[in-house]
Amino acid sequence: MAATTSPAVPAGRGPWQLARAELRRRTSVKLSLAVVALFVFMAAAAPLLSSLSGWGPDEFDKSAVDPYLGGQPIGPLGGVSAEHWLGVEPVTGRDLFARVVHGAQVSLLIAFAATAIVVVTGVAAGTAAGYFGGGTDAVLSRLMDLTMSFPSLIFMIAMMSVARDVNRIVLMTAVIGLFGWPGIARVVRGQTLSLKHREYVDAARVGGAGPWRILTRDILPGVAGPVIAYTTLIVPGMIATEAALSYLGVGVRPPTASWGQMIAESVSFYDTDPMYFIVPSTCLFLTVLAFTLLGDALRDILDPRSARA
Amino acid sequence: MNKRTRTALAAALVTTLALGAAGCFGGTRSTDGKGRGTNPALANQGAAIGGTPTKGGTLTVLSNQDFTHLDPARNWVMGDMDFGTRLLYRTLVTYRAEPGAGGGELTPDLAADLGTSSNGARTWTFRLKKGLKYEDGSPVTAHDIKYNVERSFSPDLPGGPDYAARYLAGAEGYQGPATGKHLDSVKVPDDHTIVFELRKPFAEFPYATVLPTFAPVPKARDKGPRYDNRPFSSGPYRIERYARDKQLVLVRNPHWDPGSDTVRKAYPDRIVVTMGLKGNQIDDRLIASSGADSSAVPWGKLRPESASKVLTRPDVRARLLAESTNCTEMVQMHTGRAPFDHVKVRQAVQYALDREAVLTASGGPALGDPATALMPGSLFGGRQPDTLKIPLAGDVAKARQLLKEAGRPDGFATSITVSSGDKGVGEAIQQSLGRAGIKVTIETVDPSAFYDTIGDTENRTDLVYTGWCPDYPSGSTFLPFVFDGRYIKEKGNSGNHSLFRDRVTMKRMDEIAAMTDARQAAKAWQDLDGRILAEAPTAPAVIERMPLLLGTNIAGAFGHTSFGGQIDYATVGLKDPAKSGR
Amino acid sequence: MILYTLRRLAAVIGVLTAVAAVTFTIFYVLPSDPAAAACGKACSAERLAAIRAHMGLDQPLWRQFWEFVSGIFTGRTTGSGQYAMRCGFPCLGYSYENSEAVWDLLTDRLPVSASLAIGAAALWLALGLSAGTVAALRKGTLTDRVLMVGAVGAASLPVYFTSMMLIYGVIRVAGLLPYPQYVPFGDDPVGWASNLLLPWLALAVLYAAMYARQSRSSMIETMAEPYIRTARAKGLPRRTVVVKHGLRAGMTPVLTLFGMDLGGLLAGAVITESIFGLPGVGRLFYGALSTGDQPVILGVTLLAAAFIVVANLAVDLLYAVVDPRVRL
Repeated sequence: MAATTSPAVPAGRGPWQLARAELRRRTSVKLSLAVVALFVFMAAAAPLLSSLSGWGPDEFDKSAVDPYLGGQPIGPLGGVSAEHWLGVEPVTGRDLFARVVHGAQVSLLIAFAATAIVVVTGVAAGTAAGYFGGGTDAVLSRLMDLTMSFPSLIFMIAMMSVARDVNRIVLMTAVIGLFGWPGIARVVRGQTLSLKHREYVDAARVGGAGPWRILTRDILPGVAGPVIAYTTLIVPGMIATEAALSYLGVGVRPPTASWGQMIAESVSFYDTDPMYFIVPSTCLFLTVLAFTLLGDALRDILDPRSARA
Repeated sequence: MNKRTRTALAAALVTTLALGAAGCFGGTRSTDGKGRGTNPALANQGAAIGGTPTKGGTLTVLSNQDFTHLDPARNWVMGDMDFGTRLLYRTLVTYRAEPGAGGGELTPDLAADLGTSSNGARTWTFRLKKGLKYEDGSPVTAHDIKYNVERSFSPDLPGGPDYAARYLAGAEGYQGPATGKHLDSVKVPDDHTIVFELRKPFAEFPYATVLPTFAPVPKARDKGPRYDNRPFSSGPYRIERYARDKQLVLVRNPHWDPGSDTVRKAYPDRIVVTMGLKGNQIDDRLIASSGADSSAVPWGKLRPESASKVLTRPDVRARLLAESTNCTEMVQMHTGRAPFDHVKVRQAVQYALDREAVLTASGGPALGDPATALMPGSLFGGRQPDTLKIPLAGDVAKARQLLKEAGRPDGFATSITVSSGDKGVGEAIQQSLGRAGIKVTIETVDPSAFYDTIGDTENRTDLVYTGWCPDYPSGSTFLPFVFDGRYIKEKGNSGNHSLFRDRVTMKRMDEIAAMTDARQAAKAWQDLDGRILAEAPTAPAVIERMPLLLGTNIAGAFGHTSFGGQIDYATVGLKDPAKSGR
Repeated sequence: MILYTLRRLAAVIGVLTAVAAVTFTIFYVLPSDPAAAACGKACSAERLAAIRAHMGLDQPLWRQFWEFVSGIFTGRTTGSGQYAMRCGFPCLGYSYENSEAVWDLLTDRLPVSASLAIGAAALWLALGLSAGTVAALRKGTLTDRVLMVGAVGAASLPVYFTSMMLIYGVIRVAGLLPYPQYVPFGDDPVGWASNLLLPWLALAVLYAAMYARQSRSSMIETMAEPYIRTARAKGLPRRTVVVKHGLRAGMTPVLTLFGMDLGGLLAGAVITESIFGLPGVGRLFYGALSTGDQPVILGVTLLAAAFIVVANLAVDLLYAVVDPRVRL
């Protein structure tokens, strides 16, 4: 969505206020914010929600499946009933609603944490490379090139499968974060380079400000807009990566639920128990969609000239 | 499954306990689930599906994987041994091609008889049939069998049965024929006679000669590790093309003489194995069974998610084989370590375990049976006894009570190692023990690394989930390998994963092994089974079946009891070869 | 330009060495012992030691790494006498699992992955670029909106979902195509294409959506540049302006993306290959990982990294050709 120039903005408002006003105008933003809020709420309130439904995420319900048919859920739509709002998982009879809300917790936690790692590392590396230049820039830029040359998915799978006896969620976050930072670092580096010699930065330097002060006071606010937009846009990628790793069987440890793990296990039931497959897939789809729309809007507003990095 | 059965066979052959003059057992009665009567998957039990095949056509095998090894010196996985010894190479002795109990009986193959022993079962002599030929028409000689036995010692060719290494005299430190050295304990007085000198008496030796180790490999054809990709045929088929992990094409070996072979029927003209397919797509293709797929059989088990598509339709169900694998899957507890050094804690696990849930996770009651004893039903004359009388879903109150008596009223935390394919089972165990306050963490390990991981007695988890299969119907191939403390190894431990070391048990095992009356010995093993179970080193969970859905054009197919329920490739063929296309 | 290329090639070798070293280190700490896995059950200690020595696993890490790296160029010989296996340049060792040369395995599987990646790429470029360009030229119209909403939606669909829906709809319900089972192009071109059609579509849907979004924004930006306005002002027909001037500059960011995506997919379509049971490089890797087949893991990783760096290099060089503003 290209920047639709907003008509006659009242004078005297700061850029952030303008951005907020512009965001509020868009239906897609409102909708996606609602979706994101819903899932974040689901994730945060997972234990509460599943206690409302009466089933924990790891609780078997043998009465809900037919063992003679390979554990097919009993009843229509994958065993949807007053007891199991979204039906049950085949074989175990675990409550799908409870698992999908707990899965949201894990998936979003990993996605947000990995994004945080990526953003913090990327911004730090990008500003350092752009501002200090010279040797720092050379080393960091080579490191970015090198990291980007790694076949990331292959490496993530390898690292996840090698590691044992560690917290899988922490490891997965770290591994996803490890390969994500160069993208944002490049964006920030470019931005920093262009800001570095603006008059107000020069003025600060002449005024005796140290590099730390200049970076935090003058450069960081300057790169904030593109960074926020970029961050929103990489969240869906992180969610999808978590799902992909879990799909390939190197994700969370059982019985923990995550959307990727749920999809991985439900894929083979896609025709015998479609509900089982559709529920986590829909959650994944909606979340990715919402973040993409949100990110698009933010980019249009906060960073109108940059294309996707 | 593969590796698990491999273990079992390994153990079965390591019958180091001097069996003395104990005779070989005759038939087995398979666990056919009779008496339950309602199981829809067992209609074809003990019978071949589709009548007698017609010669010709192409049989397709749809597989989700490649063979582990087809090199006869390295082939040690149940299904692979079936495929290799039934189609590509012949061994001294083999199993009869019969459904049910008959499949446990031996019949001469390359040899003219089942071997003659002398020197108190320390020397075994086999005479070869005359006129046997390889795929190029050259004669099969006893030298080639000796050569392959020697090959199995080579570090270049790992993975195969180590039976020869354990029994042959003077085999210590031998590194295979590539070094130019040969084994003196295997004598070849003439082209048609081979003599094995053993270190110790071994009355059941003929059962060992069923193994691919005892297939012939001519020295001129041996290419070391690469032989695996192109074994030289002495059987009814030869390899036309083998692209690893993609496709294997077998065509007739014109030099194989059906007159010399009482077992193999070799009905199809070609056999094509397509590998690397998705399990549930294989199931869907076989359910639809259209076109060339009607002449197809699956290599792997029917996936649990496909069960509802098969079992609810009588016409499809009629094409389902579900022979028992004869393997008892157990939760094995580290008896050498707290808290499982306490018998009451172990019993609590037996009581807490929900076998119904485990069974559902392994395919459901249609495709398996809950285990109530250690040895599978075939060693109890058909059906396992239920000495403990624990309800199938477990008895949580009793488990809690036992934990209390053991001084652990609040339960404890522990962990279990399962093969990644058994993740669902792991969750069922976790859930059921959790009910009694035992918090279980699941470690999933790739099948390839599974036995390494649990074989490291120092670093492994308290619990492991793994099974055992007797090689042939004798208690001597089960209990000693799972419960004899003298076989425990610090690393590379196999079989006795409960690390059970009980003097009384070991003494009794030696006594039974020395018994000369086979019936008396069988009874004694059955009694011992119950006594060990009461000590609770393991909690037996389920005995799985091998569900295989056949295409509509398949004939002469049955699950072979001695090959873990895999289709007997000696007799399978097509009803109408014209329908197989190509 | 030549000097630049040489410098970049040197960097490529540096990157590949780094990738090899990292992979090597990761798998050195792998808990499973490939020698023990190969040895099988009931493996005696001395036999294990013999196998380990045969595999060269008794050597220190740096030594193994050196043997590997130097072996690529000089070749290596394993085994002795009748069993000797000599692998020449480029020697990546032999698979522990099936004793095939890793290089042969890679070249054997690559056509499958290449068929998948290139076919899908052609599809998604055609779909994505045309949708993006059309949307850009009709910016703000209903066409634009429909296309872009569709693109955002499609880009959010997980590839497994698209794949399963395609399998269900096209194969199970409509029965239009057989279950995917790779057929080499040389054997049967029609069979090749019909078996790959669904995997192509599954991948293309995802990428086409991203490319449509990317090319749209890039085209909009380009069409606003002064030189385009000048061209229009000179009275050149709109079609000429769009095709000759707009597309050329507008597609350069897409080119970067394309280089990276194609490079990544050639050896990294693990999920698609596994869903459709295609015996490609991705599945080779996945299988090797579950059996701890280190030489194959290392080989695939290197190949994948090579594709990525070479694709990046190719993109940079192409830039100079496509975009007159770029000078190397």
